[in-house]
Amino acid sequence: MRRLVEFIRSIYVVVLFVLLEIAALSYYARATAYTEARLLARTNSVVGGLNGLVTDVGNFFRLGRENRALTIRIASLEEELARYREAYAAGKLKVEFREMGDSKYRMSEALVVSNTVGRSHNYITLNRGGADGITNGMGVITPDGAIAGYIVDYSEHYAVAVSILNPVFRGSGTPEGTAYQGAIRWDGKNPHFVVLEGLSKYADPQPGQKIYSTGFESYFPAGLLIGTVESATLDEVGTTYTVRVRLAADLSGMNNLVVIENLDYQEIHELRQSEVIKYLETN
Amino acid sequence: MHHVPAYILLFVILSLVQIFLLNNLVVGTFLCPLIYIAFIILLRLDTMPIVLLGCSLAIGMLMDMTMGVAGINTIATLLVGFLRPTLIRLVSPREEFRDDGVPSPERMGVSLFWSYIVVMILLHHTVFFTLEALSWGHFMRTLLRILLSSGATLLLVWLTERLFTAKISARA
Repeated sequence: MRRLVEFIRSIYVVVLFVLLEIAALSYYARATAYTEARLLARTNSVVGGLNGLVTDVGNFFRLGRENRALTIRIASLEEELARYREAYAAGKLKVEFREMGDSKYRMSEALVVSNTVGRSHNYITLNRGGADGITNGMGVITPDGAIAGYIVDYSEHYAVAVSILNPVFRGSGTPEGTAYQGAIRWDGKNPHFVVLEGLSKYADPQPGQKIYSTGFESYFPAGLLIGTVESATLDEVGTTYTVRVRLAADLSGMNNLVVIENLDYQEIHELRQSEVIKYLETN
Repeated sequence: MHHVPAYILLFVILSLVQIFLLNNLVVGTFLCPLIYIAFIILLRLDTMPIVLLGCSLAIGMLMDMTMGVAGINTIATLLVGFLRPTLIRLVSPREEFRDDGVPSPERMGVSLFWSYIVVMILLHHTVFFTLEALSWGHFMRTLLRILLSSGATLLLVWLTERLFTAKISARA
């Protein structure tokens, strides 16, 4: 009798274990990068406050470095502005350029609550959410204007962005001074490098050449710095280059970030999902 | 039941260290120590299998939610929690330990204790990093991540064990 009870008890544990593992495995199998981002966004409304406290302490020690970087940035922007003022005063700017009106991009700042670079799918959690006007599809850049990621989910007070160090990140880049472009993708190997794929053989990328955003994804304006060319290899057929790009943003040392809203994003997004496009894609 | 508060404290402290310190710590892509597994490793030797499973589920799910990985922690931790009694039987040639308390070198013998925690950590990290990488494409990379992270976790688990048993004996 005692043996029977023992047997039932051991079987009971095995059955429970198998059921739990099946449940966990099926959840894992069905999960996408977006469900992971959603999970993070939801959890952050609970642990976000505490996490923010820890980040605050870390930020305090980085203030000095951050300040220097910002001063340098202000100096370079002032310089650029001075050039425009000069040109304006001299009447050199074309009329249409002067009457360009408001930009379709709005910028606002956000603090990094948590951020990883060591995982195979990396996310950045920010301390701004729906209550601060955050929506999906907003670009996230560093204060010195380098691309870091874009927002994929948000709760009331927090938002989660896919980092450029995430295989689901979609972006494109163009080498400075050319009209050619390629797709930006992270190969999961090194948090300081991404790959620019499918660049035309005529682009002839040189080491040290800067790679800028194209603005095609509508998360970012065109002309934001992505990184510099480290090395380039022509594929076997000799038609496209695969370029190793050293990222301009130091993803492991981020503290303050700038969130970009494209006021036309919704319109572009809806247009891309219009009935006509859907019809073309299904046929 | 007098040891339950100590384990609740251990659970809370390990979770806090994992979530707020280790998850935010950046030491290259190869070093991601998962110290929370110390909770499963350090449960008393006489812990019932069903309790082990429950504890694995609790800490695994908490880690999944805070790391934003769908189910990987739960899968790895459940497996380790389930296999722990079998593993302890395998590494110990004699059935009896001095008593059924917290696993420690004094109680289990130095070599038994180390082989026990090494196997537990390797098993857990292998499942975790393999599922995280999602493919065998980066086989060598994944292997290196498993080994280096396991090394870091091993050190942390050993430290935790020293602190935890020191506290228990001071109280008793």
